Amino acid sequence: MFQCEFPECTTFGTVIRFALELEKGAVAVYDEMSKDAKLTAGAETFRTLVAAHKKRGDLLEYTRREKLNEMIQEPIQDLDSRQYIPDLNRPQGADLKAASKFAAAIEQKSASFYGDMSKIAGNLLSEAARIMDRMAKENLANKAKLEAL
Amino acid sequence: MAVLSEVKKDWGKVRNFVNGEWVDSSTGKWLDVKNPATTDTIAKVPLSTKAEMDTAIDAAQEAWWAWRETPPVSRARVMFNLKQIMEREFENIARIITQEQGKTIDDARGETRRCIENIEVAAGITTLQMGYNLEDGAAANIDEEVIISPLGVFGVICPFNFPGMVPFWFWPYAVATGNTFIVKPSEQVPLTTQYMFKLIEEAGFPPGVVNLVNGREDAVSAMLDSNKVKGMSFVGSTPIAKWIYKRGGETGKRVQAQGGAKNSLVAMPDAKLDNTVNNMLSSFYGCAGQRCLAGSNLVAVGDIADPLLKKFIEASKKLKVGYGLDESSNMGPVISEAAKKKVLGYIDQGVKDGAKLLIDGRNIKVPGYEKGYFIGPTVFDNVTPDMKIAKEEIFGPVVSFLRMKQLDDAIEFIHRSPFGNAASIYTQNGRWARDFRYKVQCGNIGINVGIVAAMAYFPFAGYKNSFFGSLHGQGQDAVSFYTDRKVVITRWF
Repeated sequence: MFQCEFPECTTFGTVIRFALELEKGAVAVYDEMSKDAKLTAGAETFRTLVAAHKKRGDLLEYTRREKLNEMIQEPIQDLDSRQYIPDLNRPQGADLKAASKFAAAIEQKSASFYGDMSKIAGNLLSEAARIMDRMAKENLANKAKLEAL
Repeated sequence: MAVLSEVKKDWGKVRNFVNGEWVDSSTGKWLDVKNPATTDTIAKVPLSTKAEMDTAIDAAQEAWWAWRETPPVSRARVMFNLKQIMEREFENIARIITQEQGKTIDDARGETRRCIENIEVAAGITTLQMGYNLEDGAAANIDEEVIISPLGVFGVICPFNFPGMVPFWFWPYAVATGNTFIVKPSEQVPLTTQYMFKLIEEAGFPPGVVNLVNGREDAVSAMLDSNKVKGMSFVGSTPIAKWIYKRGGETGKRVQAQGGAKNSLVAMPDAKLDNTVNNMLSSFYGCAGQRCLAGSNLVAVGDIADPLLKKFIEASKKLKVGYGLDESSNMGPVISEAAKKKVLGYIDQGVKDGAKLLIDGRNIKVPGYEKGYFIGPTVFDNVTPDMKIAKEEIFGPVVSFLRMKQLDDAIEFIHRSPFGNAASIYTQNGRWARDFRYKVQCGNIGINVGIVAAMAYFPFAGYKNSFFGSLHGQGQDAVSFYTDRKVVITRWF
């Protein structure tokens, strides 16, 4: 059993923390799915997604370390980040179609988060904005892959 | 959201690092180190004796010549080692900074990055320290050259507001150029430096090259009085900076001493309101206003005053004050009970002088941290240039809002300050920005930037009572401070 703690996004640091939690959640979900006997037809896709989301987590950690400095630590206000929290409780016993639908919903939430955060980050850090924009696109590509299963 | 875990709750007795060894101080004087958010005692720091500082100076002196003879490329390699180790320990360093200093974890991570950047710049010493020559420079067949040489033992006396970064403005450059060094951290925040020294030890500097001595007056006086110490750096308040500069000069030392500040952020009528307010918030409230680059006076020029103030107040009220290890906190506590008392005294003074208190941060309660040294965002309107809160360094999250008719009034106001650390202008007008940059007598100028924090490869400047000396910390200035030029004229018969 895994747990994610999604923070209130009040700073760039908390945006990255939120993103790291999203990636951690996705890794855990796909890892479980890749080992589920009922979902063997999708196992390879899920394993690929585990690796991809781990890599994204590393990139986010790098971004937090390299891109933050006191000149751009502006607060983020009036953002209700609860809207981006995905449902990570996988329905037990689901078949491949249902499981893929569940996973696609996670990718969709994640895409919305990164898309919106990219706009906020654009004001602060163009490289971070680019990374988040790319992540949103990857989420949508992942979603398409999952829906095709 | 859970609060991030501390690296260690209780650090026990802080130790000195002298001649490559961790040593316990023999002093009878110890102070509690407190977490300013919880007020828990997290360590005990020794006020080391004069003799202990003298031992460190002797060790640094003894280590100097062999280190000086170590080729710059080899000295740089140790810096590269240290960089890798610091990257590995990045998050731990940041969390220790927050635990002992109180700033938010984002702020602490930014500070940790600054430390590493200074190591990266110092690792380029093979080019930074290169001399120059001119064939036939003196006369026909007589060549002239300049060699840039280290001088010996140097030291730094550090403040509490940047326990990680400030030592790194200095020692990497001193050591990379072939000097040896002693760091005296603030007794209020010794843990980050102690942790850094474990990393410095691991990086492989020879014994005696970089030393750590904790303490206060006795340790500082010993460093000042020693004729083995060739130069000193200091960051802190103006009275102490002036004293260090004078005392150091009496014993023939090079001294660079950074003092206090009273920084004004000037908003012109064409400033982009949303961006300006957001940027100003981090300047006024980052590190709870305890940065020497923090905004303190908000000067509104012309008709932007009312809309700016309205927006600034709204945004200030929304800031989340809390423990810095809660990642959603926008602002942490001030460093100590005494610091809190001093800031509250200024707020009382502002009220007494007739300024209008629009947001009062005096009685803020932070759930779970009721004992912490917190002060909420505080904003005064109707501040006039003669009021104490407009003139003196408060070093807390207190904003004095002043209204001026035109840019020249704002510049004149800045000029009247005895300090000259930083000033910023918010505008879309290049001419105003250029005038501001040209005329304002401050060492660090921001144009739509509220925290004018020079990167490692630029000097951290400062004018007037904000800096005593000529060469600053960081970058090429630091290389020059820690070296001298030796002119050689050569003729072969």
